Amino acid sequence: MNVLETLLQASVLAAVPLMLAAVGEAIGQRSGLLNLGVEGVMLAGALVAFIAVETSGSFLAGLAAGALVGAVVGLLFGVASARMAASQIVLGLGIALAGQGATGFFFRERYGLTQPLLEPGMSRPISDLSEVAVVGPALFGHKWFVYAAWAGVFLIAATLRFTRAGLLLTATGDAPFATEAAGVDVTRVRVAAATAGQALAGLGGAALSIVEVGFFAPGMTVGIGFIAIALAMVGRQDPLRIALLALAFGVLRGLGPAIQLTEWRVRVEFLDMIPYIGVLVLVVVLGRRVRLPAALGVAYHREARP
Amino acid sequence: MMRRRASLILLILVGLVGPWPLGLAPAAQTEVDRAAIVTPGSRSNEGWDQQGVDALVAIGEERGIEVDVVENAGYDDITPILRDLAADGADLIICHASGYQTVCPEFAEREGVPVVVTENPEAVTEGLVSDVETEAQEVAYLAGVMAALETSTGTVAVVASGEPPTWNYMTAGFAAGAKDTDPSVEVLYSVIGEAAYDDAPNARRTTETVIAAGADVIFGMGDGASFGMIQAIREHNAAVSQDEEVRFIDVIGDKSDSDVADFLLTSVLFDYTGAYNTFIDNLESGDFGSIYTMDLENEGVWLLEPPIEVSEETIEQVEAAEQAILEGEIDVPAIAEADELADFLEDLPEGDA
Repeated sequence: MNVLETLLQASVLAAVPLMLAAVGEAIGQRSGLLNLGVEGVMLAGALVAFIAVETSGSFLAGLAAGALVGAVVGLLFGVASARMAASQIVLGLGIALAGQGATGFFFRERYGLTQPLLEPGMSRPISDLSEVAVVGPALFGHKWFVYAAWAGVFLIAATLRFTRAGLLLTATGDAPFATEAAGVDVTRVRVAAATAGQALAGLGGAALSIVEVGFFAPGMTVGIGFIAIALAMVGRQDPLRIALLALAFGVLRGLGPAIQLTEWRVRVEFLDMIPYIGVLVLVVVLGRRVRLPAALGVAYHREARP
Repeated sequence: MMRRRASLILLILVGLVGPWPLGLAPAAQTEVDRAAIVTPGSRSNEGWDQQGVDALVAIGEERGIEVDVVENAGYDDITPILRDLAADGADLIICHASGYQTVCPEFAEREGVPVVVTENPEAVTEGLVSDVETEAQEVAYLAGVMAALETSTGTVAVVASGEPPTWNYMTAGFAAGAKDTDPSVEVLYSVIGEAAYDDAPNARRTTETVIAAGADVIFGMGDGASFGMIQAIREHNAAVSQDEEVRFIDVIGDKSDSDVADFLLTSVLFDYTGAYNTFIDNLESGDFGSIYTMDLENEGVWLLEPPIEVSEETIEQVEAAEQAILEGEIDVPAIAEADELADFLEDLPEGDA
C-alpha cells in the first residue's frame, strides 16, 4: 500500500468509533436529551470490550459488552434526566468525568502496571479485492466490523427517516407536549433513546479499543466523545450526514502524517489543528442551517404543559 | 553603647571572614523521609512516566523512604498537586516532565520545598532546584547506526509523540547515526501531535503512514502512544512475509519480555536511579541544587542488546561507534529545540530510497 491508500484506509477505520458515538448522541438529541458524557461512555465501552475480548477471545463478546455497558449508562442517564428531571448538563459532565476516572482505576486494578495487547484476530472478509488501486484498501481492506458499523448507520438512518418510531423520536424532541397529547409516553421514548444512543457510544468505544488499536489505555479516547457531540449537532442529527462528517474528520486527521512526509515544513501545532479547523469551517458553513430539536436539553415536566 | 557597637563589628567580621560569608550559607541538610514524583502520564506506560516512578519506588524500598506517586497529572498547572504533596510532608518532589519546567521552580521558590526538574538547567537553585539532563542522543546515535545497517528498504523512520527536548535530542542522534553509517539511507520524521503522548489511535495511523512510505525500521518515542505504533507494526507483520517485516526501536522502558519482543530491534533505555540517588544524597548532605546528566558513561542511558537476531557485523559496528563516542571521536549533535531539529533534518544529505 502506498501513502495515499494507507491514508484513505486509515480514515475509514478512524471514522467508525466517532461515527457510532455521534450517531448514538444524535438519537438522544432527537428525543430532546443532550448527553455531554459521551467521552466517559466511550471509555467505559472501550475498557469493558477489551476485558471481554482478553478473557473470552471473542471479538463479538467484546462488542456486545461495550454496547451493553453503554446501554446501562444510557438507561441511568435517561431515567435520571427524563423521569427525574435532573439537569442533563450536570449528569453528562458527571458521566464524562466518572468514565475517565473509573476506567483508569479499574484498568489499573485489573492489570496493575502491565499493558496487555490483543492479537490482530478480527477477519477481513473481502480483503482479496483490496488490490484495486487507490481506493481498494479503503473500500475492501477492512475488518468485518467496519462494514457492519457502516451498514448499521444506514439502517438507523432509514429507521429514523421512514418508520413511525423515527417520527415519534423526532416529535418527542421537537414538541414533547403535543406528542404526549397524541398518546405517546415522552418519558419512555426518551429513556429508550438514551439507552439505544449510548449503547452505540459504548460500541464506538469498543470499536476504538478492540477493532482500531487493539488495546485499552486510560484516556485513550483523547476527546473523540466531545467531537461526537459537535458532529451530532452539525450533522443535524442525521446519521448519513454524521457519517460523512466523521469520514471527513478522519481524512483531515490523517493529513498530518501525510503532510510531514512531503517537503513542506508545517509546524505540528498547525497539523494538530487541521481536523478541528475543518470542523469549525463546517460549523460555520453548515451551522446556519443547524436546526436543533426545540426541546433539546429541556427537562420534560408533564404537569408544566402550557 | 561601646559594647553593642563592638558586638556589631564582630558580627560583621565573622560574617565576612567566616567559612560561609553572610548570604552564602550552605543549604540546610535535610533527612529525606518522604519523596514524591509527579508524572504527566500513566505509571504503567512502560515509558517515560513508568521509568521515573519505578526508579524512585526502588530507591524508596532500598533506602526506607516513603514514596508518593501522582500519575496522569497532565500538563495543566500542577501547583495544587505540589501543594498537597508538600502538605503531606514530602522532603523532595520530582517533577518528571519537561512541561513542568516553570511551575516547579516557582513552587520551590515560594514554598521552600526542594524539587527536581527535567531539562531546565537554568532553573537550578542552591538548596531548592536540581535538574536532570539526559544525553540520550548518544545512545540514539547507536540506535541509528543499527537501524541503517539493518534496514532492507533503505528507509527508516522516527515517530515521536511530541517535540519535547528529550525526544528532539534522540531524533537528532538517531538521524545522525543512521546517516553517518550509510548516507544513502532515507530518514523519515513524523510527529503524532503537539503533546500526543497517550494518543495511541493517532500513533497507529502515523506509523502505518511511514510504513506505507517504505520504512522498515521505526524508532518510536511515544510513552502510552508507543502501543499504537506497536500494534500498527504487529498488524503489518502479520500480513506480510518475513522479509517484509518491520522492526521497532523503542525508548526508555525495556519491552523485551513483552509481545513486542518478536520485532524489537533494540531500545534506548533510561535509568533514573543514579540521578535520584544523587539528588537525595545531595539533599541530605546540604549540597542540593545541581545538574545530573544521564549519559553513556555513567550508564544513565544505554542501548538494549537486540532481543531479535541481528548480524555480527552490526553488533561490531555499534560497539565501535559506542567506543568512539566514549573516546570523544564522534561528537553527537545535541539539539533540544524543534525548529533547530527541523533545520538539522533538512540539511541531512538526501537518501536514495
